[in-house]
Amino acid sequence: MLFRSETPARLRRWAWSAALTSVALLVSLSLLTATVREQVRVIGDVAVPRAATAAELYFALSDLDAQVARMVLSAGDDALAGSRIDALGTYDERGRQIDEDLQRLVATADAGAGRDTALRLLHGLAVYRQWVWQALTAGPATGALGYYTQATNVLHLQLLPAAQELRDAAEDRLAETYAAKQRTTVLTVIAAAVLGAALLVLLVGLQVFLARRFRRVVNPALAAATLLVAALLTATGVVLDAQERRLENARGESLLPYLALARARAVSYDAAADTGRFLLSADRGHYRDDFTRKAGPLTDGRGLTGIPGSGEAAMRWLAYRRVHERIVALADSGRREEAVAAYTGIRRGEAAFDFYAYDVAISRAADERKRTFDVALRDTTTLLRGWAVAPVAVPGLVILLVAAGVRRRLAEYR
Amino acid sequence: MRARAAATAALSLTVLLGACGGPARTVAAGDGTPAAGCAAGSVSGQGSSAQTGALHTWIKRYQVACPDAAVSYASVGSGAGVRAFLAGTGDFAGSDSPLTGADAARAAQRCGGAPVVHLPLVAGPVALAYNVAGVDALRLRPATVAAMLSGVATRWNDPLIAADNPGVALPATPVRPVHRSDRSGTTDNVTRFLAATAGPAWRFGGGSTWPAPGGTAAKGSTGVSAVVARTDGAIGYVEASYARFHHLAVARIGNGAGEYAELTDAAVTRAVDEARIPGTGGDLRLELDHATTAAGAYPLVLVTYEIVCGARVPPLLKSFLAYAASEAGQRDVARLGYTPLPTGLRSRVATAVAGLG
Repeated sequence: MLFRSETPARLRRWAWSAALTSVALLVSLSLLTATVREQVRVIGDVAVPRAATAAELYFALSDLDAQVARMVLSAGDDALAGSRIDALGTYDERGRQIDEDLQRLVATADAGAGRDTALRLLHGLAVYRQWVWQALTAGPATGALGYYTQATNVLHLQLLPAAQELRDAAEDRLAETYAAKQRTTVLTVIAAAVLGAALLVLLVGLQVFLARRFRRVVNPALAAATLLVAALLTATGVVLDAQERRLENARGESLLPYLALARARAVSYDAAADTGRFLLSADRGHYRDDFTRKAGPLTDGRGLTGIPGSGEAAMRWLAYRRVHERIVALADSGRREEAVAAYTGIRRGEAAFDFYAYDVAISRAADERKRTFDVALRDTTTLLRGWAVAPVAVPGLVILLVAAGVRRRLAEYR
Repeated sequence: MRARAAATAALSLTVLLGACGGPARTVAAGDGTPAAGCAAGSVSGQGSSAQTGALHTWIKRYQVACPDAAVSYASVGSGAGVRAFLAGTGDFAGSDSPLTGADAARAAQRCGGAPVVHLPLVAGPVALAYNVAGVDALRLRPATVAAMLSGVATRWNDPLIAADNPGVALPATPVRPVHRSDRSGTTDNVTRFLAATAGPAWRFGGGSTWPAPGGTAAKGSTGVSAVVARTDGAIGYVEASYARFHHLAVARIGNGAGEYAELTDAAVTRAVDEARIPGTGGDLRLELDHATTAAGAYPLVLVTYEIVCGARVPPLLKSFLAYAASEAGQRDVARLGYTPLPTGLRSRVATAVAGLG
C-alpha cells in the first residue's frame, strides 16, 4: 500500500521518509554529541588531572632530593637549625605529595606499562628513603655524604626517569584524548550535514508535493519543521565549532604552557640545588656541569623563553643564573665565604632571594595558565550540557510536525 | 693544616644554607603586598633568632611584592639585637621579651623622646616531646612536667604520671629528660611556665639557662629533637615545629582550667588572647598568664616582639610591619610552625603600626 503510485501512498512515502530521516538525525546527533560531552569530561576529569599529577610528581621528586641535600649538609650545625627544620618540613610536604600523586596515578592507570612504571617508582622510592634515612642518621663523620650519593643516584638514575615516563605517557594520553574528541566532532558535523540536508530536501520536497497536489501555498507545520531543522543544523555547527575552538585554544594557550612551566619548574629546582651541592661537594666539576646542563635549556628557547606568558619567570631565572655564576666565580677564586654569603643571602642579587622571586614568578605564571584552562573547560562543559536537549527535541518535534502536516491531507482520502 | 681546612669548611657550612636556607625553597604563589601599598628604600633590624624564620619569610614576600624595597634582619639573638638597637643600629629590634628598667629608659633616649613601641608579631608554642613505648596520648600537669624534667619522677609508671593518665598502661622505662645546653628563649619560657604553675614541684625559678640537675643536655631545638627521637624514655621541650617535623609525640599540658590542652593553633590563640596588655596607646607589651584558667588554652607559649620607635619611623618599615601584622602576613608564617595572632590582638597591632609617626 505504501509503494502504490497513488497520491495517498506517495504522501505517506514522503512523510515516512522525512520521519525516518528525523529519527536517524536524532539518534546520530544524540549519540555523537553525548560522545563529545563524554570526551570533554574525560579530558577535564581524567586526562588533564593525570598529566598535571605526573608533572607535579616529577617536580616533587626533584625538590625532595634538594631538601635532603640541605639536611645532609646542615647536619650537626646549630647555626643551620632554621634551615634544617625548614628543609625537613618541606621534605615531609614533598613526601606526602609524592605518595598522593603515586596513589592517584596507580589508581587511574590502565593495566600495563603505566601501572608497572608507577609501581616500579613506588618500590624505588622505598629504596631512596632507606638511603636518605641512613644519610640523615649517619652524621658527617660516618658517611652521610656517601649515603646521600647513593640516594641522589637512585633519584636521578631511576626515579626521575620513571617519573618522566609517566609524565610523557600522561601527556601522550592527553593528546590522544584531544584527537579522539576532534575526530568525533568532525564526525558529528558530517552526520548533521548529511542527514540534515537530506531531511531538508525531504521536507521541501513534501512541501512542493502538497502545494502541487492539494493547491496549498504553504503547509505551516512542514514550514515550521523545515525552519527547525535549518536552525538545528546551524546551531549544531556553531556549538561544535565553538567548543572545538575554545578547547583547542585553551590547550594551546593555557594547558600546554602550564605543563611546560611545570617541567621547567622541576628542572630549575634541581638545578638550583646544584648550586649548593657545588659549594659543598668535593666533586665541584660534576655539579658545575650538571647545573649548566639543566639550566641551559631553560633559557635557550626550548624552556621558559619559549613558553607564552613566562617572560617574568625567564627574566628571574636569568637573574638567578647570574648569581649562580658569581658564586661559582667567587668559589673558584678562593673567596669561599663571599660565595657562601651570596648563596644564602636574601638581599636582591643574592641566591636565596633571587630564587624565591623566580619561584613566585613561575608559580604565578603556571597558576594563571591552569586557571585559564579550567575556565575554558568549564565553559565548554556548560555549553555542551546545554546542547544535550536540542538534538533530541528538534528531530522529535519535526516528526510530530510532519505527522500533523500530512494528517488532514490523508484524511481527505478516507 | 688539615684541621684548619676542616674548620674553614665547617665555618662555611655554618653560613651555607643559613637562616633563609639556600635557594631551594618552595613558596605558594601568594604575595606580600601590604594593604596600604608598597614603600621604597631600605630598613634593617636585628635580634631574636626565634622569629628569624618568620622575618625572613616576610622579607622575601615583601621584597617580591615591592620591587623598590630592601629589608634586612640579622639573627643575632634578643640581647644583642636590643643592645644594637639601643646603640642606634638598625630601625627595629626583634626580642623574645619586652624592654624593662634601664633598657626602657635608654630606648626612650634612642628614640629622641618618642615612645618605644612593642609589637607582638610572632607567636610560637613550645611542645613537650616524648618517646616511650606504648604511649601515644600523654597528659601531664605542670607539677608532673617539673618532676619529670628535674629528675624527681624517674620511671614512666611513676604514680605522678599515672595519676595524670588513668587507664593508660605506662611502662617502667626510666624517664630520660632532655634539655637545652645553650641559653635560649625556649628554656626561659619553659622555666617561667614551671615557676608560675608547678608550685613546690619546681624550685629552680626562671631563666634562659637550664637550672635543674641531671638529664641530657643538647644544643638547640634540633639537638633536643634528635636526642628525644633516638632515646627510649626521653622527654624534652622544643619549639612546636621541631616536634611536628620530626614526627615526635607531644604531650597535652594541664592548664589552669583543669583541662589537658592539646597543642593546636586554636589552643595557643586562646592562651595569647588571655594575655594582659599593661601598656597604653600603641605599646603592646603582653603579660602572658601561664596559669590561665581560660578553657582550652595551651599555656606554654612564646610571643616575640618587634621593638620600634613611635615616631620618625621610615615609611618602608611601617609598610613592612603592616604587612607582617596583616591576616595574610600571619597566615604566611603559619606553615613554619608559628601560630597566627588572635584576631583582636592582630587588629591592635595593625592599629599600632598605623599609628606610628
